[in-house]
Amino acid sequence: MALSDIADQLDKADPTLARYNRQMLWAPIGIEGQKKLKASKVLMVGCGALGTVLANLLARAGVGQMTIVDRDFIEISNLQRQVLFDHDDIDQNLPKSIAAKNKIAKINPDVSVEAVVADVNHTNIEQLAAGKDLLLDGTDNFETRFLINDVSIKHNVPWIYGACISAMGLAMNILPNETPCLRCIFETMPPPGMNPTCDTAGVLGPTVSVVSSWQALEAMKLLTGNRKDLSPYLFSFDLWDNRFQQLNVKRARELADCPCCKHKKFEFLSGAFTSSTTSLCGRNAVQISSTGGHKVDFEQIAANLRNVGKPSFNKFMLKCPIVEGTGERRKEYELTLFADGRAILKGTNDASTAKALYSKYVGA
Amino acid sequence: MSDVIYFDNAATSWPKPQVVTDRMSAFLASEAANPGRAGHRMAVGAEKMIDSIRKLLATFVGGTDHHRLIFTMNGTDALNIALKGLLRRGDHVITTALEHNSVSRPLVQMHDDGFIELTRIAFSPETGIIDPNDIKKALKPNTRLIAMTHGSNVLGTIQPITEVGKIAREAGVRFLVDAAQTLGTVPIDVNASHIDALAFPGHKSLLGPTGTGGLYVNSTLKLEDFEPFREGGTGGDSSSPTQPKLFPYFLEGGTPNTVGIAGLGAAIEFVIAHDPAKTLAQERAMVQKIIDLALSNPKFKLYGPPTAANRVGTVSFNIDGYTPQEAGSILDESFTIAVRPGLHCSPYAHRTLGTFPDGAIRISPGHFNTDEQLSTLLDALRQLTE
Repeated sequence: MALSDIADQLDKADPTLARYNRQMLWAPIGIEGQKKLKASKVLMVGCGALGTVLANLLARAGVGQMTIVDRDFIEISNLQRQVLFDHDDIDQNLPKSIAAKNKIAKINPDVSVEAVVADVNHTNIEQLAAGKDLLLDGTDNFETRFLINDVSIKHNVPWIYGACISAMGLAMNILPNETPCLRCIFETMPPPGMNPTCDTAGVLGPTVSVVSSWQALEAMKLLTGNRKDLSPYLFSFDLWDNRFQQLNVKRARELADCPCCKHKKFEFLSGAFTSSTTSLCGRNAVQISSTGGHKVDFEQIAANLRNVGKPSFNKFMLKCPIVEGTGERRKEYELTLFADGRAILKGTNDASTAKALYSKYVGA
Repeated sequence: MSDVIYFDNAATSWPKPQVVTDRMSAFLASEAANPGRAGHRMAVGAEKMIDSIRKLLATFVGGTDHHRLIFTMNGTDALNIALKGLLRRGDHVITTALEHNSVSRPLVQMHDDGFIELTRIAFSPETGIIDPNDIKKALKPNTRLIAMTHGSNVLGTIQPITEVGKIAREAGVRFLVDAAQTLGTVPIDVNASHIDALAFPGHKSLLGPTGTGGLYVNSTLKLEDFEPFREGGTGGDSSSPTQPKLFPYFLEGGTPNTVGIAGLGAAIEFVIAHDPAKTLAQERAMVQKIIDLALSNPKFKLYGPPTAANRVGTVSFNIDGYTPQEAGSILDESFTIAVRPGLHCSPYAHRTLGTFPDGAIRISPGHFNTDEQLSTLLDALRQLTE
C-alpha cells in the first residue's frame, strides 16, 4: 500500500491515525493493525530504564491505553538511561509514573495514560492487570516478575519479560497455554545477592534500549494480531562481548513440572512467597524478611557492593552504607544483611523504599 | 516452629500448656454456646463455665466478689475500660516513666486533649524502680488516680505497689495497677496492696490464650464511678434500655471470648498447680545467669540492677557492635532464638535508660524454658561478642 492509498483510506476511517503512516506502511501492521494498537490496553509494571524506553516506543507507536505503575521518584542518576525523564522532572520531584504520563502527553496526546504511584504487590496486581491485553515487564526484581507471571497465567493475559545489566540482556514472550512461563525457566527466586544488579554492577543505556526495543516490537506484533511472528525464543545477548543467542525454550513447558502453569499454584499471587516488611518499633528502619530460605554469600555480596559503599561483614551480618542523590536530595541509608537474606534498611520508615533499596543493592 | 527457642515470654508466653489447647478445643467442639443468652442447657453450661473461671481469677488476685472480675480482650482493653471509665475532666493523674504504651497512650491523649493533668514519675535507672515518695510529692488536690505498672516490661523490676497503694488510700486517690508482667508469677492481693482496679492480660504469665484478659474492680469502687466503655448485649436484663447497672455486665457488653476464657481457666489451674513461686524462682535463676554473663563481659551493657532478685523473668541489655535489631535478627536467623529487640512499647523507660530510639535486646524466660535452651542462648550471646 502506498502512502497516498493510506491517506485516502484514513480520511474515510480515522484521520487521527495519519501520524502513524510510516508504521502502517509495514504491511503486517497496516491500517487494521494500527486500529488494533489504538484499541489496546497495556500494563507497564515499572517505569525505570526498561519501562521508559518501552513506554516511549509504544506511545509513539500508538498503543491506545497504558497504565504505568512505579513506586519511585526520579533521581539524577536515572537520566543516563531512563529516556522519558529530564532535569525539570527532578526539580519538580515528580514520581516516575507521573513524569512519564506528562511526557507522553507531549509526545502523543492520543494515548491515554493512567499513572499509578505504587509498589506493585500481590494485593494490587490483579486489579492493575484487569482488562489489559498485555503486561510488560519494566521491573528490576524477580519477585515482581514472578508476580506478573502468576497473574498472566491465572488470567490468561500474555506478558513480555525483559531484564538487563551492564551490557547483557534477556527477554522472552510468555503466552499462557502456548509458551513456557517464567517459572518453567527459573523455578525459584535466585538467592538474594547471588546476581549483581544495575546498582552494583552498572548498566549501559544502549543495553536497556536493545532489551526494551525487542519487548516493544514483540508487543506490537502481539497487539496488531501478528501472533504467529512472535519470537518463541529466550533472547539473550552481551553487547560488550558481542554475543547474541536465541535459546530454544519450547520444550521447557513439557519438561518442567511447573508449579505455576502446570499445577496452577499461584504462590507469588497468594502472598506465600512474598517478602514481608516490618517497620521497626521507634526506629527509622524497615526489616525485610526474605522468603526463599536461602543462605546468602556475604563475600559475593560484599564484592558486588564494592562500587556502592564500603561493605564490611562478619559471620553473622554484612553492613554497607548507601548514599543516594546529591546536594539537597542526598539520602543516607545503611543496609544490614543477615545470612538468611533478611535485611534491615536504616534511613527510611517506608516499606516500598526499603524494598526498592533491597532490589537495587542486594537483588532478587 | 517447634525448633524455635522462645525467650520472648514478656510479649506473650509460649508455648501454652497442652491442657489449654485441649480445653479450648473441647469447649469449641461441644459446648461453645452464647453464655446467658438463652435458657437452653448449652447456654447455661457456658455461663457456668465462665462464672467458675471468674471465681478462680477473682480469688487468684485476692478479690472477694467474683462479679467484679470483668473479662476483657487483653490488658490494654482492661486499662482502657478503667482509664476512660474512671477519669473526669480536670482530674490529675500520676503515672510513671516505666509504663507500657497501653497505660501511657490513653493518658497522654487525654492530657493532649486538655481533659486531664498528667504527672510522670521518673525511676532510678540503677534500681529500675520508682520511689513511692516521689508519688506522694506529686499529689495535688485534684489528683484522682495513680496508674502504674507492677513490673517493668523492659527491666523486669517489680515496683513497690503496696507502698504506693497505701499512699493512694491515705490521700483518697484511686489506684490502678497494670499487672501485665507479674500476674501468674508474682503474688498479688488487691486488698493488701490497696488496689482499686487491677488490669491484666490472660496470655502472658497466666499462660492463657491471646484474646483474654481481665479487670478486677475492687469493692472500694462503686459502679457509679465508671462510665461504661463498651455498651451492648449482656444476655440477662434485656429489657433495660441502657447497660444493666450491675457488675460485671455494666463493663462487659458483647459476647465474651468463651473459647479463650475456657483456655484461660485451664491455664490458671496449671499455673496454680505448678506453684507460681517455683516458676518465678526458675525464671529468676535464668535471668541471673544472663546478668552474670553480661556483667562478666565489657561488651555487654546491662540495664537495671545487677541482680534478678527484684525482677520477674525479664532482662534487657545491649551488645557492642550491634544495634538491638541486628542482635535480635542474628539470634533468630543464626541460632533460632526468639527475643525482643527495640523499645518494647515503653519509650519513656528507654529515654530514661539512654537507649532511645534503638532500644535494647530483651530476653524473657518463661515457664517452659529449659536449662539446655538457656545454655544455647548464653553460648550464642558469647559468640556475638567474639
